[in-house]
Amino acid sequence: MSDAEQPGLYVESTVIMTTVRVVTPFILTFGLFIMFHGADSPGGGFQGGVIAGSVVMMLAFAYGIEATRDWLDSRLVVAIASLGVLTFAGIGLGSILLGGTFLEYHRYPIEKASKYGIELVELGIGGIVASVIIGLFFVIAAGFGHAIDGGDES
Amino acid sequence: MIEHAPVLVIALPIVGGALPLLFGLFADRLGWPIAAVTLLGQTVLAVALATTVVDGGAVSYVPGGFVAPYGIELVVDGLSAVVLVLIAAVSLGVLAYARRAGPHADSFYAQYLLLVAGLSGMTATGDVFNLYVFLEITGLAAYGLVASGRSASAAVAALKYLIVGTIGASLYLLGAGYLLAATGTLNMADLAGTLAEAGYDSTLVLTAFGLMIGGLAVKVALYPLHTWQPDAYADAHDTVSTLVAALVSTVAAYALARLLFSVFTVGFFDAVPIAQTALLTVAAVSIVAGSLLAVAQSDVQRMLAYSSVSQFGLVIAGFAVGTQAAIVGALVHLVGHAVMKGGLFAATGIVERRTGARRLAEYAGLGERAPVTAAGIAVLLFAMVGVPPAVGFVGKWYIVVGAVEAGTWSLVVVLLASTLLTLAYFARLFERMYFTAPPSASTTDATPVPDGGNGREAVSTGMVAVVVAAALLAVVLGGTAPLVEQIVEQTVSTFPHP
Repeated sequence: MSDAEQPGLYVESTVIMTTVRVVTPFILTFGLFIMFHGADSPGGGFQGGVIAGSVVMMLAFAYGIEATRDWLDSRLVVAIASLGVLTFAGIGLGSILLGGTFLEYHRYPIEKASKYGIELVELGIGGIVASVIIGLFFVIAAGFGHAIDGGDES
Repeated sequence: MIEHAPVLVIALPIVGGALPLLFGLFADRLGWPIAAVTLLGQTVLAVALATTVVDGGAVSYVPGGFVAPYGIELVVDGLSAVVLVLIAAVSLGVLAYARRAGPHADSFYAQYLLLVAGLSGMTATGDVFNLYVFLEITGLAAYGLVASGRSASAAVAALKYLIVGTIGASLYLLGAGYLLAATGTLNMADLAGTLAEAGYDSTLVLTAFGLMIGGLAVKVALYPLHTWQPDAYADAHDTVSTLVAALVSTVAAYALARLLFSVFTVGFFDAVPIAQTALLTVAAVSIVAGSLLAVAQSDVQRMLAYSSVSQFGLVIAGFAVGTQAAIVGALVHLVGHAVMKGGLFAATGIVERRTGARRLAEYAGLGERAPVTAAGIAVLLFAMVGVPPAVGFVGKWYIVVGAVEAGTWSLVVVLLASTLLTLAYFARLFERMYFTAPPSASTTDATPVPDGGNGREAVSTGMVAVVVAAALLAVVLGGTAPLVEQIVEQTVSTFPHP
């Protein structure tokens, strides 16, 4: 017990690894499920994004934080966050180009544009939230020394 | 396209803010050009919007086709147009400073643009809850920017700012909740009418007023709620100090004025005179206490920070007096202070890079060592004290005239005394720069500079140009008072009167 409580010490456990491997796809699906439910029922990008982001945290607990950090391409995380913002803004600005006001969904020439529009926006928000949660997790896991050394990249 | 400008001034910097990180994956150092292009566009939009508003009256915009008061409304009138132009112009100017001064990280420029988006949103919104959302965006971006300084003290300052700032924002949110409970609406224009029906002296409305104004007073940094501000200004990176000192409290003060005139309206002060007295008292205490604390400082940036506490006391006093002249004065001083204080922080950054000086004593003989910067500081100091024809004089003059009209004589005394107090701390700096012999070369080299390095870093022409431009603006902007008067006249007539 006392060994396991020491910070930074990773213990490989078959039980945890197997469980995470089985559960992960379901959690990711559940995260998406919550995101898509932002339009017409409680749910949305914030909650769904946190759930989707927690998948990476579970992987980190099961396979070790450093291993997960190496496995996950940090550029992907940054790209998802930026694209999330651009998705939201793009949907908003697109309706202006189609002659409406900002975020006026029903200007889009598709059926149930309002519902699909909101779902796409929620997906964008979910991407932002998940990326930020993952980023925060790795930054905190890296500890203070890293934060001060890497504070200014100039 | 101009009819979409109210939402574009918010959407443009958000889109721009997402790009530096994305493009940063493929190429280095794209943050600055992206921010420059975005803010150029932002400035063009803001100026176009301002000319539309000055010519044709307030512009309203309802995103998503959800009709106000149920949907969120964006309203840009003369008052907000002035602040929008200020935000765009100052952030573009500070960018010229950041080119050499850094930080150069892509994430810095993303936060920079997010801050501009938050500030523009606070200015353009016509909805008290939407104001809270943008207040938080502004706050979060500002906390991150303050923390981006190199020293560990910047992180501590940012944490303090985060805790105090979040409490302020939460108080505001609580107040907005009380307003919703009292009236069932969050739209500002709608609230102005329904509040009168709910009764200005009802406990709900009074509580909402206290909470909302109290929360914004934290963000403005009025005494005694200013505790986050000196650390955040003095410990942050120079570029961040310049931007945050020039804009963040300024827009919070604008939001406070917006609540006073568009939500609670003049009728509230007529019904509850004690609320006006309380606000005037806080402002007056802030003026005096901020000045006294500034006199006591030996670090120049901290002195400037405490000076802001005092100057925002002046601005809020002008808004609280509420006569037309006082509002004009408060608005002129709000804009003028942003330019002057931004310029002063930029100048202290240059001085620190060039000579390593941070403390008042180390500024000795700066007039010979860095003549252009010292001259810029001197002009800005005199403008801040209120030497005619500078903008500091015009602002204070209108506020005093307004206070005399309103017959608040005790405030007039404080206002006049504040000029002397401002002189008290700025004269010390001026005296050091021009009438004290510079230390001999050996002692300067021996002076240890905190935060590492020998304090001699490159200073670009652009950085000095920012200070010179601020000094020129501080002198020239005083001449815009008639325009501001015209704008306020238009806008005030649109404020609902009892």
